[in-house]
Amino acid sequence: MWLPAATAQGKPAATVVLAVSARAQAGDKAPRRTDFEPGQLERLPQHTIRTTTPWYSGAHEFSGPLLRDVLDAAGVPARAEGTARCTALNDYRVDLPLDDARRFDVVVARLLDGKPMSVREKGPLFIMYPFDERPELRTSVYFSRCIWQLKAIEVV
Amino acid sequence: MRGWAPRGRLLLTVVVGLLLAAALAAVAWVQVRQHKLLDATVGYQDDYLQISLNQLQSEYLRLRLALDAAAAAPEAQHEAVQMRYDIFVSRIDLLSSGRLGRVVPDREDLAPIVAQLEAFVEQADTLLGPRAAAAFDAAAIDRLRASLAPLDAPIQELVLSASHYVSAQVAQRYEAVATQGRIGVTLTALLAASSVGFALFAFQMLRLEERRARDLETLAADLRKAQRAAESASQAKSAFLANMSHEIRTPFQGLLGMLQVLDSERLEPAQRRQLDTARRSAQHLLAVLNDVLDMSRLEAGTLALTPAPVDLRQVFAEVRALMGGSAGEKGLVLETDVDAAIPAQLWLDGTRVRQILFNLVSNAIKFTERGAVTVEARQRAGALVLSVADTGIGIDDRTRARLFQRFSQGDDSTARRHGGTGLGLEISRSLARLMGGDVTVDSEPGRGSRFEVRLPLTPVQVPAATAPAAATEAQAPPAATRALSLLAADDNEVNREVLAAMIEMLGHRVTFAANGVEAVQAAGAQRFDLVLMDLHMPEMDGIDAARAIRALAGDIARVPIVALTADAFADTRARCEAAGMDEFLSKPVGLPELTALLSRFAAARVVRTA
Repeated sequence: MWLPAATAQGKPAATVVLAVSARAQAGDKAPRRTDFEPGQLERLPQHTIRTTTPWYSGAHEFSGPLLRDVLDAAGVPARAEGTARCTALNDYRVDLPLDDARRFDVVVARLLDGKPMSVREKGPLFIMYPFDERPELRTSVYFSRCIWQLKAIEVV
Repeated sequence: MRGWAPRGRLLLTVVVGLLLAAALAAVAWVQVRQHKLLDATVGYQDDYLQISLNQLQSEYLRLRLALDAAAAAPEAQHEAVQMRYDIFVSRIDLLSSGRLGRVVPDREDLAPIVAQLEAFVEQADTLLGPRAAAAFDAAAIDRLRASLAPLDAPIQELVLSASHYVSAQVAQRYEAVATQGRIGVTLTALLAASSVGFALFAFQMLRLEERRARDLETLAADLRKAQRAAESASQAKSAFLANMSHEIRTPFQGLLGMLQVLDSERLEPAQRRQLDTARRSAQHLLAVLNDVLDMSRLEAGTLALTPAPVDLRQVFAEVRALMGGSAGEKGLVLETDVDAAIPAQLWLDGTRVRQILFNLVSNAIKFTERGAVTVEARQRAGALVLSVADTGIGIDDRTRARLFQRFSQGDDSTARRHGGTGLGLEISRSLARLMGGDVTVDSEPGRGSRFEVRLPLTPVQVPAATAPAAATEAQAPPAATRALSLLAADDNEVNREVLAAMIEMLGHRVTFAANGVEAVQAAGAQRFDLVLMDLHMPEMDGIDAARAIRALAGDIARVPIVALTADAFADTRARCEAAGMDEFLSKPVGLPELTALLSRFAAARVVRTA
């Protein structure tokens, strides 16, 4: 399990880029929270989506761990039903069915065209769906789920 | 059916079909447009950009709040301001990305606002940008607040402008969808109307087809009825002809018989010639009658064949004997030849084969002025081929084509010259076909004709002893060696007189009975050498009488009985045999036939009494 190590290493709160709260399991007092530092996300298997989006002109490469791997690392059961409530730095919020993470290769992008994204560049994390690979995703429903400046995920 | 109807219907079909196709195409077009209209991507992006603008405004306000807070404690708030500033700048990106042009219709309004925002970012970056150089102190913060404040109005304007634009867009889209809806409804109505039209049209066509089918059925039924009527009329005609022929033949027997009896008397040469003419006329008339009877039987399908072992060489000898005379009179040579390979006895209906040969040979003689008539029997490919070739006038192609048709007899001029019923060839061919063969002709005008009769060849194995017996029968002595005592039963007085004249001329004695009852009484009272029994008689017919005689006690029951009848049906013959009769003689009975019969019985009686 990632949880003890992550908690142990998660003390310097300043470097936390993503906080994931899994639902409380039996015996837990509060929801389990996992804080991810950039290095932790970097050590997860990386995946790259090359796609066009409404936010950039032309196709770009979005690289980072798969959302399902992040959720798994945060102790969210693989078959869990429910919703990932995602929050951005500006408190923009959107709900994303957990099923999406299983059905599609949804990436928690850290890199845009191989470079880290600053907050000014909609970073540091950008949830991205493979729109070009799965044209059926090109609807407002999935565009709205692509949250940028992502800072927290809460499984509810 | 009206003349214009088929073309009108075709036109209507085409028009309705085109209308339907056009309506369907329009519906498809409307649906494609609808799909495009409802494709949410573009609309979403517009909506989304509006949300982004709203967020830009709120980030702007939050940055101002953060700066207000930082004015009091620059160091403590540095990080918070940095975050708010970065987020604010990330929102400004949207304006320069070019997409905002769609949301803000008037680009000239947009440009100064964007320039203003960019100027602010340039200034702020010296303090908060990636390569910030200036110190983050109260004075710098105050300068930033001062240049941030004037952006409030333009951002507000941008947000309002975008929201108005998006509202207008939504209204426009709604209007477009509504228009689409109206067009869709109209098209659906049109489609429904043309479908109904087409259905009505198809229904009417169907009804028309049904009516036509009914008409055709009625017509077919009428035709069947007419055919049945025609068939029954034809059968009635055939039956009438058969009856008439039969009725004519009976008095004919009297006429011919008497002429034959007269012939044998002593006559003046002039009287003999007159009698000869009368007899030939009568014989011709009889031949015509026989042809008509045969034809009517063939047509009615009542002509039955009676095959039996036949010696073809004997048949040919008869042909030579009977036709040789008339050939000689015209100076023609009549040659006959039977191939040695042909078996002695063949399974054939001898009477009918004779009839065909006589017919063809007499025709050949009739249509040949000089030269020869050759009759041959050959075996070819397992079939019996009888050929009659002449050196006569021949037949041209046109005539040959209708030669075997009824009443056809070469051209009219030859018909007048040669006479005849014109039924002979048709009867010959029909008989040959009935026997499983055919008659064909090959001819060249002026060179002669060759008729071929092809028949199935069925050899019969017979004891060698019976063959000479047949030969002796044919060559039986013409005169009786002993006077016979005969009983003749016939209800017709003329027939009785003819029989009496002929029998007495041949030197025999005859007792007459007028019906079956009398015949049985006479046969029971006295022993006769032979009974001649007519079949059709009142009181008791010939068959019953024969049966009654056979039922008598003693030797008299075994008297030979010969049936006399005009109808030569096979079943009649069978019934005679079943009734115990010994022989069968066809009416009218001629002198030669009677002579042959009586001499045979006389000889037999001699043998028996000896």
